[in-house]
Amino acid sequence: MRLSGMLSASAALPLALALVACGGGTPQEPAADTPAEPHELDSATHEELVELAQEEGTVTVYSFTSRIASIEAEFEAAYPGIDLVGHDISSSEQITRLRSESQAGAPSADVAYISDAPVVITELVAGGVLQNYVPPRVAETVPQEYREPLLANRLSTKILMYNEEAHPDGSPVENLWQLTEEEWNGRVVMVDPAVRGDYLDLMAEIVRRSDEMAQAHQEHFGSEVSLDEGVENAGRQFIKDLYANGLVLVDDTDNVNQAVGGTGQEDPPVGITSYSDRRDNEEEGWALQASLGTVPSTGITFPAYIGMVNGAANPAAARLVADFLMGDDSETGGPSFEPFYVPGDYPVRTDMAQPGDAAPLEELGAWDIVPEETAQIRDGVADFLLTL
Amino acid sequence: MPTAPPPRRTAAGVRLARARTALTRPTAVLGACTLLILTVLVVAPLVGLVNTTLMEGGRDAWGDVFASPMSENLLWRPMGNSILVGVATAAGSTVIGGFLAWVVVMTRIPGRWLLGLLATIPFALPSFALALAWESVFRNGLIGGSTGILVNLGVAVPDWLAWGPVPVSATLTAHYFSLSFMLIAAALASVNGDLMEAAELTGASTLRVARDIALPVVAPAMVSGALLAFAEGVSNFVTPALLGLPVRFHTLSTRLYGAISTGDVSRGYVLSIVLIVVAAMIMYASTRLTGGRRNFATITGKGGRRRSVDLGPWARPVAALAWLLVACTTVVPGAVLVLSSLTRRTNDFTSGFTLHYWIGGSDPAFAQGRPGILNNPQILQATGNTVLLGVCVALGAGVLGLLVSYAITRSTGSRWLPGTLGVVSFVPFLIPGIALGAAFIAQFGAPIGPIPSLYGTFAILVLAGIAATIPFAVRSGTSALSQVSRDVEESAVMAGAGLFRRIGAVIAPLTARGLFTGGVLVFVQMVRDLSLVVLLATPAMPVLAVLTYQYSSENFTQLANAVTVVIAVISVGATVLARRLEGAAQPWNQNS
Repeated sequence: MRLSGMLSASAALPLALALVACGGGTPQEPAADTPAEPHELDSATHEELVELAQEEGTVTVYSFTSRIASIEAEFEAAYPGIDLVGHDISSSEQITRLRSESQAGAPSADVAYISDAPVVITELVAGGVLQNYVPPRVAETVPQEYREPLLANRLSTKILMYNEEAHPDGSPVENLWQLTEEEWNGRVVMVDPAVRGDYLDLMAEIVRRSDEMAQAHQEHFGSEVSLDEGVENAGRQFIKDLYANGLVLVDDTDNVNQAVGGTGQEDPPVGITSYSDRRDNEEEGWALQASLGTVPSTGITFPAYIGMVNGAANPAAARLVADFLMGDDSETGGPSFEPFYVPGDYPVRTDMAQPGDAAPLEELGAWDIVPEETAQIRDGVADFLLTL
Repeated sequence: MPTAPPPRRTAAGVRLARARTALTRPTAVLGACTLLILTVLVVAPLVGLVNTTLMEGGRDAWGDVFASPMSENLLWRPMGNSILVGVATAAGSTVIGGFLAWVVVMTRIPGRWLLGLLATIPFALPSFALALAWESVFRNGLIGGSTGILVNLGVAVPDWLAWGPVPVSATLTAHYFSLSFMLIAAALASVNGDLMEAAELTGASTLRVARDIALPVVAPAMVSGALLAFAEGVSNFVTPALLGLPVRFHTLSTRLYGAISTGDVSRGYVLSIVLIVVAAMIMYASTRLTGGRRNFATITGKGGRRRSVDLGPWARPVAALAWLLVACTTVVPGAVLVLSSLTRRTNDFTSGFTLHYWIGGSDPAFAQGRPGILNNPQILQATGNTVLLGVCVALGAGVLGLLVSYAITRSTGSRWLPGTLGVVSFVPFLIPGIALGAAFIAQFGAPIGPIPSLYGTFAILVLAGIAATIPFAVRSGTSALSQVSRDVEESAVMAGAGLFRRIGAVIAPLTARGLFTGGVLVFVQMVRDLSLVVLLATPAMPVLAVLTYQYSSENFTQLANAVTVVIAVISVGATVLARRLEGAAQPWNQNS
């Protein structure tokens, strides 16, 4: 641009903004704000589904994990003639994508395998973008909270972990409030909850469990928690104290794993990460271990959901995929569940055994989030974090 | 042209007649047409963005961002940090890029061809490679885990050097000086040797020639490069996230991506609108600073012999400095990238090396059985797709960019048209890729009249790609075009050449270097950029950037880095090829 011409850019900018302010341009249909009606295939038998799915011939799956690649191979072996097209797309991008596609009336996926429960339940399910389907075969074995409002097949974790090489006798953290003390100043690492939803869910859960946090404070310090001005409850006070105690925020769980788990450290930090990352200890040279027994809790578990995309082209095949992702009726879920049968993740089906090499769910003692309730306070907690 | 009825002598008639005259001026028509295209590609998605923030439930976002207890941490401090980082990146890029461009084009330092090639590489490298290179040297014990070389040698590294604004600005500069380098080198290459010879004959020193002759001539390219570096600097998310977060150094882009990825879309969009306005203001301020300086038309159609500067005793120190800069910004990060694809354990250079992630078969001990990338047919397919996409977008954006910059530099009538074109064509830079992608799905996802739904087609990727990269094409186009003297064109007019003939047969070849530079920038940006394609990439059509992302989100870092090396090699290959084509397009420069 000619330099003199750029001066007039200043005149043009208000014009461009005025254009924008006038709106007009893109029609932005608001998403339907009611849940979807039940689908006619919800009660179909397995044989009926297979027959219809074979006519459909293909099914597209969005998955927040790349393990969909091995599911693809297994599914196509189990159902020859049905082509499963799997796409590895992160949960937040799936949400954006599913929402945009729904608004444009052009859904391109049939199944969404998705995490980020609070947003999924309150926006995609409540808004009718995703609908629930519980395969009759597994309905009996899945607890109510993982059948409604959306079917889950397993739980993942975000928990406190420590370096077992430096602490061979168990976790150095018995009470979460220790993390706000001088001993752990600058030595607690986690992914910034302002950047990643699952960490925000953990913060929200700590606030939701304020009573338990208050009790833990009493146990640790022998005194009631005193709230700073403008801080509503013990959960928020804990978060505030944690931030004030030099909490180190990073961008990615891998960074947490390396910082906490890296071997050969004299005085490694502790950090919040996924229990299942412990399976990479050997490959990566880490010594990650779950901080079991920490009160009031070591972290959270949250569901991985299987949603049917409303108005999608292959509803029968989509329902077959849901059935498939729930595993077969063996103890380990068989080949279709194998990619998810890892230590540190927990199948929801009560007739499946929990994977070995990790503490059973009861022993882990993590809080299981309730997506609807988390969603109610999540934005408030996010806003609170922004004031720290 | 339809014959017009004789105008009546009324005020309305006069206006009508004026409008008719304007319409018959091809430049005005061209300007109007390109503005129309940009409106569809850029303004409409932007309107969609604004609309989203104004919809029910989104309105609070404005209040939250501007007037709430959060504002300080959400808006004001990140804004200050963004401006700081952006300005530092722009300044650093201009100095380093300008210096290297001068060395490569104007001196006779040995190996300057290689120097010139290496200086274009940092832009093709992923941001994280440069951040990682910084960490591998300066990382201290703040986070825990392994530390960098300096700490391992026993040198204490203070936090300000390891984390926060200093490393963020430094690595962004190392990343984006290539932009300034390419634009300024293209401008310098067209500096008329006669001018410099004349100056030298009148006794001007080397330094004075550089300052008084070369510098003013390349000023438009410098400003363009600085603005691009600024925009890239403020919109980069990876670098501040890696090197800033540990000391809670947030920029608008980290806040923006955070808001979008934690589900607060409208707040994210408000922040991106803020980013657009801030950048527009910086753009305005930069024009005020450089004043109404006139352009120097250096491509005049007379004499074109290039001359080089004799550095005398300074040759060695200058060469040493140039090589040092290139080594720090290209060789080190490049080596870090290649090595990190070879490490047994993620980013641990002491864990031993393996070629498994390149050529290995499926082995459960590595990356849960994923084969090496050269053993993976999907990579080959994705490479083909990526190159095809890059070429299509580069051609599309190149043609549109040339037409837009022609309208900008050659408009004679009202000022608002070139001004609006300039701003509108710069804006896509500042719309976060994922937001632009979502806006494109909203806009082209449903059928519009006779146009069917483009969702899931290759076409929507190309269109969105053109929209996202048009700033590169227009910036490099304007800086190249503003050097072409109008005399040249007037001669063509005399010879009876029409507008498109002139552009095709005169302007395009004369500015080939600038145009190819723009094309390469667009291509490289398209090949390595992820945020845009991640939403739009068609299911049946993997592209390399998406594969990298998938690998890294599954913590298969070595595989991700190996694919990134492939991306970098493609980008460098494109740069080399473009230089060849450029030589072919400018046969008169062969002997230089």
